[in-house]
Amino acid sequence: MGPRTIVLLVAACAFTAHAVADEDKPYKVVDGYKVDANTMKGFRTWRAAACDRCHGAAQQGLVGPSLIESLKRVSKEDFVKLMETGRLDKGMPSFATSPTVMENREALYAYLKGRSNGDITQVKVEELTP
Amino acid sequence: MRLAPHVAAVCTLATAIVVPAIAIANSDLESKMADPNNWAAQAGDMYNQRYSKLNQINKSNVGKMQVAWMFSTGVLRGHEGSPLVVNGTMYIHTPFPNKVFAIDLDTQKIKWRYEPKQDSAVIAQMCCDTVYRGLAYAENKIFLQQADSTLLALDANNGKVLWSVKNGDPKLGAVNTNAPHVFKDKVITGISGGEWGVRGFLAAYDINTGKQVWKAYSVGPDNEMLVDPQKTMTWTDGAMKPVGENSSLKTWKGDQWKIGGGTTWGWYSYDKELNTVYYGSGNPSTWNPSQRPGDNRWSMTIFARDLDTGQAKWVYQMTPYDEWDFDGINEMILANITVKGKPTKALVHFDRNGFGYTLDRTTGALLVAEKYDPKVNWATHVDMKSGRPQVVAQYSTAQNGPDKNTKGVCPAALGSKDQQPAAFNPKNGRFYVPTNHVCMDYEPFKVDYTAGQPYVGATLSMFPPQGEKNMGNFIVWDAGTGKIVQSKAEKFSVWSGALVTAGDVACYGTLEGYLKCVDANDINKELFKFKTPSGIIGNVFTYEHKGKQYIGTFSGIGGWAGIGMAAGLEKDQDGLGAVGGYKELRDYTELGGTLTVFALPN
Repeated sequence: MGPRTIVLLVAACAFTAHAVADEDKPYKVVDGYKVDANTMKGFRTWRAAACDRCHGAAQQGLVGPSLIESLKRVSKEDFVKLMETGRLDKGMPSFATSPTVMENREALYAYLKGRSNGDITQVKVEELTP
Repeated sequence: MRLAPHVAAVCTLATAIVVPAIAIANSDLESKMADPNNWAAQAGDMYNQRYSKLNQINKSNVGKMQVAWMFSTGVLRGHEGSPLVVNGTMYIHTPFPNKVFAIDLDTQKIKWRYEPKQDSAVIAQMCCDTVYRGLAYAENKIFLQQADSTLLALDANNGKVLWSVKNGDPKLGAVNTNAPHVFKDKVITGISGGEWGVRGFLAAYDINTGKQVWKAYSVGPDNEMLVDPQKTMTWTDGAMKPVGENSSLKTWKGDQWKIGGGTTWGWYSYDKELNTVYYGSGNPSTWNPSQRPGDNRWSMTIFARDLDTGQAKWVYQMTPYDEWDFDGINEMILANITVKGKPTKALVHFDRNGFGYTLDRTTGALLVAEKYDPKVNWATHVDMKSGRPQVVAQYSTAQNGPDKNTKGVCPAALGSKDQQPAAFNPKNGRFYVPTNHVCMDYEPFKVDYTAGQPYVGATLSMFPPQGEKNMGNFIVWDAGTGKIVQSKAEKFSVWSGALVTAGDVACYGTLEGYLKCVDANDINKELFKFKTPSGIIGNVFTYEHKGKQYIGTFSGIGGWAGIGMAAGLEKDQDGLGAVGGYKELRDYTELGGTLTVFALPN
């Protein structure tokens, strides 16, 4: 993890006031599509790992399940673990060899959780200008 | 030329006596193909014509067809390709785990079955579907191309493994979905993984030993492509000229060619007289064009290679510097037709990019290149002198650049047609083409390569052309003039290979799950329609057993056909996937693989 990442994570934490809210809403979003730097990284990770090929361009589910629905049930802890292990029998690959995914798992969770909660209202997001 | 059955039988006998064993394989398969009772290859022949001489089922009685029998494959996911029928036995394949069943057509009893053991990690490498397009037959052997890239020969009598060879490294995303094809004494296979940065190739293996005879890459140094700078020709300035040295390397930036795609997962064809195998190569990797400036030769290319040596005789690149994922892998149909008034040994190809190409298959000269869907908008036309498409700036994802959404490009990445093969009717010289009628928004973005991980670099959304509701058409095409003769609208993409018969019927399946047969001379006359258990992405085939003709197809939806109906990206309401044709498809069908076989009532 480089110095730049640490700065971004600090910035992300600054947006979340309560520890409890962190699990439920680990992101900041304005107008439905302007997001904090960490959530922005999550979106970039979503694209780079080509998750849309199975989960749909809007996370609505195709061959793979809808992440809008799944993220209502899967905990952050399980999500982070799943990125590493995959679910090979169901066609979900392991991203253990992908630095992009492994380093940005929590950011990816933040982005998808925002989509699942309906707070991030469109797939493509932009970074909030400070 | 197709020999009549009795002539072929005589040839087989004569060859057996006079010449070495190598030639027998050729005659064996040819005689099986020449007998219309069989469906001995995926296209029925080596020319990819998908035409049958059977005429018991014809346009006056096809409406009376009934289900004769059905068979569940026990596998979900997309069922592409078709079974083979050889001398009273049907050979059925499935998507991953690539099961094979041999069925006795007298009793419909399973004679033998073969189920490979494959690492389930392959499933994820095949995202998003585990399709497999079918088996090949020759000399009492069944050739199985497994998803994990293992190529096998099975004894057609009992399913025992005769030999097995590894064709690629699935851990790097080099997997297989294509059917192997037997031409002469070789089994030809390709490779998938254009979205994993796999460098594509075609390979030939000895049918008796599994030993690799040659391997020819689509991109890279001349010797690895089996391209001869002086002898391999391409259409240049209105004539065929040598490609020259480093014809691929000099069209790539740096080492990008090493992860440059050009995979080869389509249907191959063979002209015995020219001893030439024909096929197309797929998209250059990544889908983000700004990462790979240059023409990216020889991705998106029609190849003509000598079957014995693999040497490229000629090449023609349809989409230089791809910006839309218009893979050039669709089948090359070999037919002798009249082109612009002249009898021609033609190669006809309906490309993903929306142009229908007619080339002289002997020389590689470009003869016709016209849109086979009037909605195609990314290029105005193909310049017949240079052979290059004239790209419209508005729809250029490279000119608009990364992180910009280029909107309304027609066709979508899945093309005006994908792998679903067309059929040729020698009775009228016309082609019957199952097509997609879908457009897209395409947003490229920078992506880093990690071995064994997806390497895509673009986000897409797909939808019907503006103001239209149908996402597919079944068309009749005149390849001699490049004109649509007739067009029949379908609600969804027609993702099923067509069949034409001497009974003047043309049949195809639909994503809702209908098998349809139409009048080959007027395709808007729908003569037969039956709802199978799932959406059809398989190819229609026919055979005769004990004096009765059968027409059959796999049903079992899956794969890209579904992705074509994904929701849009930018509208708020799209986020929950509430819109788009995909949801509507769910009103018609579910997963599940079944073979349904039809015949006339007794």
